[in-house]
Amino acid sequence: MKRKDTVKLISAEEMEFIIDKDAAMVSQTIGGFAEMELGEVTFPEISAVILEKICQYFYWALQYSRGKETEFHIEPELTLELMMAPNYLHT
Amino acid sequence: MPVLRSRKILPVQPKPRKAQANIDPPATPTQGREQPATHSSPPSLTPSPKTLGSVSGSAPLLRRSLRLSTKASSNAGQDSVLEAEERIERRNGDVSRKRKLSVDNDVGFESGEDDESGEDEGVLSLRSGKRVTKKGPFGDGNGSGGDVEFEIDRKGKSMLVEESEDTEKPERSKERVNVKGKRRYSREEKGKWKLLVESALDSKDESLVDGSVSDVELLAQEVNLSDEKPSKKNNRRTSQGRMERFRDTARQNASRFAHFNTQEEDDNILSMEAESEIPSEELEEKGVEDWPGPFSTAMKIIRDRAANLNVRQGSSSSDKVQSLQIKWVPQKCKRKDWSKRLPPSLLDLSLRVLVDNADAIASLAHVPDALRHKLCHMLCDSRRMDSNFFDLLLNGSPTEIRLKDCSWLTEEQFTQCFEKCDTTNLTILQLDFCGHCFADYNLPSTLARSPNSLPALTTLSLTGAYRLSDAGLSALVSSAPALRSVNLSQCSFLTHSAIDILATSLASVLLELFIDDCQSIDAMLVLPSLKKLEHLEVLSVAGLESVTDSFIKEFLIARGDGIKELILMDCWKLTDSSLKIIAETCSNLRALDIGNISKLTDTSFGYLASGCRSLQSLKLCHNAFSDDAIAAFLEMSGEVLKELALNNVGKVGLNTALSLARRSRNLVSLDLSWCRNLTHEATGLIVDSCLSLRVLKLFGCSQITDVFLYGHSNAKVEIIGLKLSPFLEHIKTPAQGPFQYSSV
Repeated sequence: MKRKDTVKLISAEEMEFIIDKDAAMVSQTIGGFAEMELGEVTFPEISAVILEKICQYFYWALQYSRGKETEFHIEPELTLELMMAPNYLHT
Repeated sequence: MPVLRSRKILPVQPKPRKAQANIDPPATPTQGREQPATHSSPPSLTPSPKTLGSVSGSAPLLRRSLRLSTKASSNAGQDSVLEAEERIERRNGDVSRKRKLSVDNDVGFESGEDDESGEDEGVLSLRSGKRVTKKGPFGDGNGSGGDVEFEIDRKGKSMLVEESEDTEKPERSKERVNVKGKRRYSREEKGKWKLLVESALDSKDESLVDGSVSDVELLAQEVNLSDEKPSKKNNRRTSQGRMERFRDTARQNASRFAHFNTQEEDDNILSMEAESEIPSEELEEKGVEDWPGPFSTAMKIIRDRAANLNVRQGSSSSDKVQSLQIKWVPQKCKRKDWSKRLPPSLLDLSLRVLVDNADAIASLAHVPDALRHKLCHMLCDSRRMDSNFFDLLLNGSPTEIRLKDCSWLTEEQFTQCFEKCDTTNLTILQLDFCGHCFADYNLPSTLARSPNSLPALTTLSLTGAYRLSDAGLSALVSSAPALRSVNLSQCSFLTHSAIDILATSLASVLLELFIDDCQSIDAMLVLPSLKKLEHLEVLSVAGLESVTDSFIKEFLIARGDGIKELILMDCWKLTDSSLKIIAETCSNLRALDIGNISKLTDTSFGYLASGCRSLQSLKLCHNAFSDDAIAAFLEMSGEVLKELALNNVGKVGLNTALSLARRSRNLVSLDLSWCRNLTHEATGLIVDSCLSLRVLKLFGCSQITDVFLYGHSNAKVEIIGLKLSPFLEHIKTPAQGPFQYSSV
C-alpha cells in the first residue's frame, strides 16, 4: 500500500527521499514523471540539501491548500540554488 | 477656450468633446461653445457650396454659428438664428468629422450673405470657436479685434454672449493688434471675413496656417468682395437679440464645458490638414448602412437583438438586465472553494527571500537570464536595487540586462560599472529611465567604446535618456550595428535627424522602433526615414502630437504590410480615415493601441473588423465608441482576440458583454475599468464564459458588487481593481525574448 502512494525522489548524491504522492503532485513535472517511471524520479542536478527543502515545500504547499496557512521559511544560503531548481519543476 | 470642433456634434453625445474649461480668467467661452450644439449656425452658414463649392459645410458651421450669433456686435437676426438652428440640426445628423478649412472659410464668407440667416455681419465664428467680429460700428479696432477674438476664444476667453464683450473687443483688439502678423492688418482693410479665416488658421499652427492662409485669403477675398456691403448692416441689427438667447443657452450648457480638453483648442489646425482629405471623408460620412458589409450586418444584428429583448420583456432597461440575470446565476455553492487558495510557488518564495537579502548575494553565475530579470524586476520595484547588484549583473560576460528603473544609478556608478564590463555577448540591454546617468559624454567610456563594441546587441532600450542627443545616438548606433529593436521613448532631446541616422545604418534590420513622447521629433519630418525601414514590425509613436492622418497614410502605404503592432496612443489628431488606411494596408496587424484618440467614431470599428483579421490585442482608452459597435466588432473578430482593453470607454454595456461571452474564447486579458454601465451580471457572464481569461481589470467599477466577486465560477481569473489587493504583479514584464514578434 505504502509503495503505491509514495514517490521516490533521488538527488544528485543518490540520496533518496520518499514522499507521498499527493505531495509530489504539487509539482506537475514530478507528478508526470512519477506516473511513468514507476514511482521513482532522479534529479542528477539537484543536490540533496535542495531536494530536501523541495520536499518540505511540497508538504507545506499541501497544508496551505488545505487551509493551514503558515510561513515557509527558507534559509537565505539555500535560496539561490533553491530558486533555480523549481524553475523546471513547476512547469 | 472652447473650441468648436468641426466634427459633428451629435446631439446625444453624453460628453461634449468640445467642451473646454475656461481656464483663462477672463474666459467665458462656454457660451460660444455650447451655442453650436444648440443653436443654428449663424448666418454665415449659408451653404458653403454656394460660396466655395466645398463640401463640408454643416459640421463646422455649427460652431461658427454660435460664435457668430453670440458674439458681440454682430447683428444676428432672429431668422438667422432659426435658420442656423436648422442647419445645426442637419449637421448633427451627419457623422462628419470633417474639419474643413473651407467651411471655415465659408463661414467667414457667408457671414456676409443674407440668404439664410439674417445675420451677416457681426461676428464670424471660426471653426475653432473664435469669433471674429465684423468691422461694423467698431471700425478698425474690431478689425484687429477679429484677431483678438480668436486669441481670446482660443484661450477660453471668449465672452461671446456677454454684452460687455462687445465693449471689450476694441480694447482687446488693441492689445492684440501687435500680436497678429502683418497679414492681418492688410486683411482688416479688406474686411473682417479675411480675419476670420486667418484667425482660424493662425490659431492652430503657424506653419500649417501659413501654407493655407494664402489659399484661404484668395478665396476669402473673392467672397468677401461680393458680400461685404449688404451683410454688415444686417448683422448689427440682429446681434443683440441673439446674444440674449445665446447667453441663456450657454448658461444651461455651461456644465458641459467644465472639462478642459486641450485637443479642442487645436482642432482647427487640423482643419487645414483635413482639407486634403475632405473628399475621402465625404465618403465616410455615411450611416451604418454604408459600412463594410459584414460589419454593418453585425451592427444590425446587435441592434435588433437589443430591440428584441426590449420588445419581449418590456421596454424598461431593467428588463434587459433581467434577461442577463437569467443567464447568469452566481454560484454560491462555490464559496467554500475560494477559501482554498493556491500556495505561492517555491520560486516566488525563494525570489522573495533573495530580494530581501540581495546584498548577501555573492554571485549570479549560473543563474539563467529569466531569473535574473525577475530578480531585477522585483528589486527595482522595491527600490532595493543598488550598484553592488548592478556589478553582479555585469559580471562575467552577461548576455541580457534588463533594468526597468535606472533612476537610482548615478553617472559615476554607471561609468565605473560599465567600463569593466565585457559586452561582447550582450544581446539585450534595457536601461529604462536612465536619464540621470546617461548622457553623451559618458557614452565613449561605456557603451560606445569603439565601433562594434556591442557586436551582438540586438535589443536596446534607453527610455528617458533625456540628455542623449543625436550625436550620441549616432555613436551608439555605430558601436551596435546589429540593432534590431530600439526603444527611445521619452528621449526628448532627439530630433528627426536621430531617426535619420537610425534609418541609414539600420534600414534593413530594424524590426521595432519606439519613439513615444519624443517631443522634439516631428512626425512629418521623420516620415522619409521611417519609410526606409524595410522590415519594421512594431512602431510606437504614442504621445507625438504631430502624428496626423497624412503621416499614417503615407507611412502605411509604404510599410503597412509588414507592420504587426502600432501604438498610436494619445495621437489625438487622428481620425477615422487613419483607421481606414490601417485596415486597408496592415493585413498582418496583431496589436493596435488607439487610446485617447477621441475623434474616432464607430466607423473605425467597421474598418477594423473588415480589415485587420488577425488582430490579437486591441487597446482603447477614453474612446467614444458605442456599445453596439464594439459588440459588432467582437462578433466578427472576437475569436482571435487575446487582449482587449476598454478602459474608460464609457458606453460599453450589455451588448459588449454578450458578445464577449459568446465570441471571446481566447481572450486572456480584459480591461473593463471605468465602464460603469456594466452590471455584475454582465461581468459574471463574461468571466464564466471566457474560459481563457486570466486577468480582468475592474478599476473604478464600484457598481460591481461582491455578488460577482464571490459568485463567478472561473477559478483562474485574477480580478484586479475591485478590492485593495496587490495588483502590480500582473503588469507585463518585458518580453523575455529579444523581439516581440520575430525570432532572432
